[in-house]
Amino acid sequence: MTGKWVKRWSLRPISAVILLVLAAAAAASSLLTQNFAAGQERLILRERTAEVAAVLGSAYTGTQTSLQLLGEIARSDQSDPQSFADAARAVTTTGAQGWLVTTQSGTSVRVTAAAGNGLVVGQALSGDQGTLARRALAAKGLVSGLLRDGGTVRLAFALGGAAGPGTVVWQESAISPTTPAPTGPTSPWGSLNVAIYLSDRPDPSALVVTSAKDLPVAGIQYPFRVGADTWLIVASSPRSLVGSLGQDMPWIVLVFGATTAVLMTAVVETMGRRRDHASALVEERTVALASAIAERELVQAELSRQENMAAIGRLAATVGHELRNPLAVVTNVLYLMKVGSKAGPSDPLHRHVATAEREISAATRIVSDLLDYAARRGPILAPVEVSDLVTEAFQVVPPPAGVEVVREGEPQVVEADRDQIRQALLNLITNAYDAMPRGGVLTVSTATAPGSVQITVTDTGTGMDEQTRDSIFTPFFTKKTRGIGLGLAVTKRVVEAHGGTVAVQTVPAAGSSFTLTLPVLAEMASALQ
Amino acid sequence: MTGPVELNGVTGAVELNGLTVLVVDDEVGMRDTLVAILEHHGYCVWSASDGETAFAAAQERVFDVVVMDIRMPGRDGVSVLQDMAAPPPQVILMTAYAMEERLRAAADAYVFAVLSKPFEVHRMLHLVARASRGEK
Repeated sequence: MTGKWVKRWSLRPISAVILLVLAAAAAASSLLTQNFAAGQERLILRERTAEVAAVLGSAYTGTQTSLQLLGEIARSDQSDPQSFADAARAVTTTGAQGWLVTTQSGTSVRVTAAAGNGLVVGQALSGDQGTLARRALAAKGLVSGLLRDGGTVRLAFALGGAAGPGTVVWQESAISPTTPAPTGPTSPWGSLNVAIYLSDRPDPSALVVTSAKDLPVAGIQYPFRVGADTWLIVASSPRSLVGSLGQDMPWIVLVFGATTAVLMTAVVETMGRRRDHASALVEERTVALASAIAERELVQAELSRQENMAAIGRLAATVGHELRNPLAVVTNVLYLMKVGSKAGPSDPLHRHVATAEREISAATRIVSDLLDYAARRGPILAPVEVSDLVTEAFQVVPPPAGVEVVREGEPQVVEADRDQIRQALLNLITNAYDAMPRGGVLTVSTATAPGSVQITVTDTGTGMDEQTRDSIFTPFFTKKTRGIGLGLAVTKRVVEAHGGTVAVQTVPAAGSSFTLTLPVLAEMASALQ
Repeated sequence: MTGPVELNGVTGAVELNGLTVLVVDDEVGMRDTLVAILEHHGYCVWSASDGETAFAAAQERVFDVVVMDIRMPGRDGVSVLQDMAAPPPQVILMTAYAMEERLRAAADAYVFAVLSKPFEVHRMLHLVARASRGEK
């Protein structure tokens, strides 16, 4: 059952390869899509950040313009600080803003005009602000800096020389950098998480503003110019910028690819299995067909052989029967010649008649062989004593001069057709005589094996070569000068009709041995073929 | 060859034994030699060359023994045997063929013996002698 399960679920190599390739392609496509989405995400984030930078940049450009304008006012109305204060109030947007004009005199820098929240006129600049003032005077454009005073932090923009040589015009705003600035459609950064540093790197002490609750912000870094300084925006997006479809696309691609891989594999596997099944079926049928054809050829060959033998048999029967009448007439004539002759006993006539009678006997035997061969009747079984059959056979064909007969073995009873087996023995015995023209020993022995009896007829005659031995059971094959070559064919057929066998052993110039094996209880071998 | 039944002349100086035999065979050589042999042994022999003639002859007169071939043109020996009038003569059939069905029919019609051609003349004479004595 396990084997079947494994066989059922194990993929063919081509299907496994297809599954692997398609799955790999799906995974690769998914990764590519993921990379592409991530790239798009970064691109969009960068664009948004650039927008934020542009918005901030334009805002600070506005601040610079305001500082230049206020500087012009302060320069032209040096005697009237109030006009500066009025102008400054006009550009003030929040209460936390303050506006200053500072003037350098010697090594100190003092406030020469002020408006809004912050220092007052006459105060000297110190610390960070003094440094920033000097930087503003040295720089070409707007400079910016963070001024720390106790717990407060002020963002200051300073424009050097705006109100005349040695002067710096300031804008200051109190800020709380770590308090998250609100996000939303109206804010410059929209919904992004940003952290803006007054530095070219994300230095926490240079943080100006953030919209993130948790710092530092992990995202892209976008430096941009504010006047003479470089600021940095670090931005990330709390949600996907490419949209949920873009975000899900890698997974969609993966699932689609995996599904395709599985489906394709299933299709290929199914087709492959069908093809395998079909080709196995074809192979099976081909083998069956080939064996059927071979079998049929064998059957046809056998049929053809049987038809040939039947035709020969019919011919033999016809010739045999037609010869019996003339033989009978000649027998009668010879008898009449004998009884009608007045010749004395020594007359050569009697010798000639005797010769004629012998020849008639020989011819009669040939006819009998032919008719035995053609008869093809099935054996009529009855218990038979084998040694009786041997005795009867020797009575019919007694050994010629010079041939010694030896009989061995115990009496055995078999179920057999008495006439047919006797005929078979007669054929073997006369063949043995013929094989010993100069005499020899003929041995007939009987032996038992489980369920069968063996009768062996052995001569010490001329023996046979291999080619002869292979042909002796073929009808009409003979090496004798007389006879038509049916004796052994009849013997074999008769014995096989009893369910027995005939075996032959022979040594040229030493003799031959024929063994008939008969089943004790003959299984009737479907009559005669 | 058909023709009337004929009484054959006695050949040679043989003493007749008073027994009559009808020889029926379409083969003239067989018929003539059988007639000659039987006459030589003292039988009064009639011969016929076909079954019809033989049957007619057997209706006309009584034979002690009929020696008849089975296979003949027209009516065969077994058919003649089957129709022979009572009391039936002793019939010896001759055959060159192993026609088992006809032999069974012959046996049913009380054939005396069946001789297979060629046969030994002595055996034929022995059978005729026994048949003529009415032995079974």
